[in-house]
Amino acid sequence: MVTLPLAPLWILEYLSALLVLILTILSLRLSRRLVDQDPENALWLFLNWLAIALVILAVTHLISHTLHDLITYWNLPNLALVQRIFGGFDSVVYVVIAAITLFFHRIQRLYLRMETDHHYLEETSHEILALNREMEALVMERTMSEMAMGMAHGIRNPLHIIGGFSHRLLRKTDEDDPSRAWATAIAEEARRIEQMVERFETLAMRKTSFFAQEDLNVIVRSTMDLLLPDLKAKNIALVKELCPEPLVGRFNKHLLKVALAHLVRNAVEATPRGGTVLVRTAMEQQFAVLILRDTGRGMPEEVVEKVFVPFYTTKIGGTGLGMVFVRQIVDEHRGVITLESKVGQGTTVTIRLPHRFTDRPEVVDEFPPAAPPGTLAAPSTQGPGPGKA
Amino acid sequence: MRHRILQICPAVFVLVLLAPRQVLAEWVTWYQFGSEGSYVHQTAHLLFFLSMLFFIYEIFHANLQKFRGFRLLVWAWALFALWNLDAFVGHWADWTLQNPLILGQGWDRRLVMDDFHTWLVYITKIDHSILLAPAFLMFYLGLKALVRKPGAR
Repeated sequence: MVTLPLAPLWILEYLSALLVLILTILSLRLSRRLVDQDPENALWLFLNWLAIALVILAVTHLISHTLHDLITYWNLPNLALVQRIFGGFDSVVYVVIAAITLFFHRIQRLYLRMETDHHYLEETSHEILALNREMEALVMERTMSEMAMGMAHGIRNPLHIIGGFSHRLLRKTDEDDPSRAWATAIAEEARRIEQMVERFETLAMRKTSFFAQEDLNVIVRSTMDLLLPDLKAKNIALVKELCPEPLVGRFNKHLLKVALAHLVRNAVEATPRGGTVLVRTAMEQQFAVLILRDTGRGMPEEVVEKVFVPFYTTKIGGTGLGMVFVRQIVDEHRGVITLESKVGQGTTVTIRLPHRFTDRPEVVDEFPPAAPPGTLAAPSTQGPGPGKA
Repeated sequence: MRHRILQICPAVFVLVLLAPRQVLAEWVTWYQFGSEGSYVHQTAHLLFFLSMLFFIYEIFHANLQKFRGFRLLVWAWALFALWNLDAFVGHWADWTLQNPLILGQGWDRRLVMDDFHTWLVYITKIDHSILLAPAFLMFYLGLKALVRKPGAR
């Protein structure tokens, strides 16, 4: 008959229980320090709550097990009621610990989502900030160019008169007339000023900054990455069919991102859940082509006609300027934007950008072909005409 | 709202179904297996066990295991989970043990190991203590490491 002593079991049990009690108290102090370091950290708060619950557990556990042993092995049935109370406490504490942990599980999920959203917002705001800076610089440069052109124009007119009259004076003055030298000096200086004005005008017309050798595929890819959460939020599938070859041209990547982002957001708004947005890039002779197609509700012909008209909008709270800006950006690149739409079938926006720039966007000898019939085209060099936002 | 109703309705149904009758009377013998009190206690252990697993999963999901403090906490949680399993089995064995044979008096008492059931009670009682202390030690060391180098902000 095998018998085993109960004393080592009790000693081990009580030593363990005492050690646990000490450790929980020390842990509680540490968790408190963590909370003091960062009171808004959900994880530290959770560990603090848990440490509190574990201190209670250590106490009730020690008491209930002691009572259980006293009743079972030391024949003290009078303690049964007290033991029941502490045993009940044990159960409650276990449930509390489980509840705290499971609650934290949900909070942690929420935190992670908030963190992701925060990063996304941060990235977007940085992008918007950079775009704003570029736009401001662009506007400033444009304004300065226009002022310079205006000044050049203003100087050129009186200069023509001075030059013209000085030449007439020269023709009417005899060779030996001493005033001929003065008229010659006037004519020469007028020509010099005219040459300076010409150089000044050429410099003012050169708006090459912000335009750089860029790959349209890279621009499209980075913009779509930025907008992916919008598409995911509406469960819209994004199909990217990017040209395998780089579509390099002199593009302003920030402006093109603004234009593409606006077009994609329009497509997302128009497309019902579960729909598809297709983005395709291709090379077409001297043009880099960007096609954006959605399976949205589409637009009737009368709306399509007014898409690029400033302040025309079908959206509540819309400015009616979004599509006007898009067309302006395409204009900046000497490109063409066309729009096709059918009610219930979706909308296709095609942008053709000349990519064979040799010097600057303005110096283009080949213009995009005319838009096919039945579509609305907004070619470059036109004034504010058709448009929508 | 519909989702909430779908969650609440089954919960209410389960509560009604499992609503304890003669609760106080049953709690008098809560430590005997089969009573409602014993079910509550055992379910609490299972809940505790599951929550520890959830926490371990959460640590790995948030990629926090790369910090020493959280690695120690994972050990603590794993030991707590094991302790709960051990307690679950141990309670069942203890509460269903019929008239254990004890020889001697006071500190010289000896338990007669006449069957597997008695052995299970004895072994799980040892485990109960052996698992719990290291679990709390890991919890303490984990917190200590986090206080020194928090890692997660």
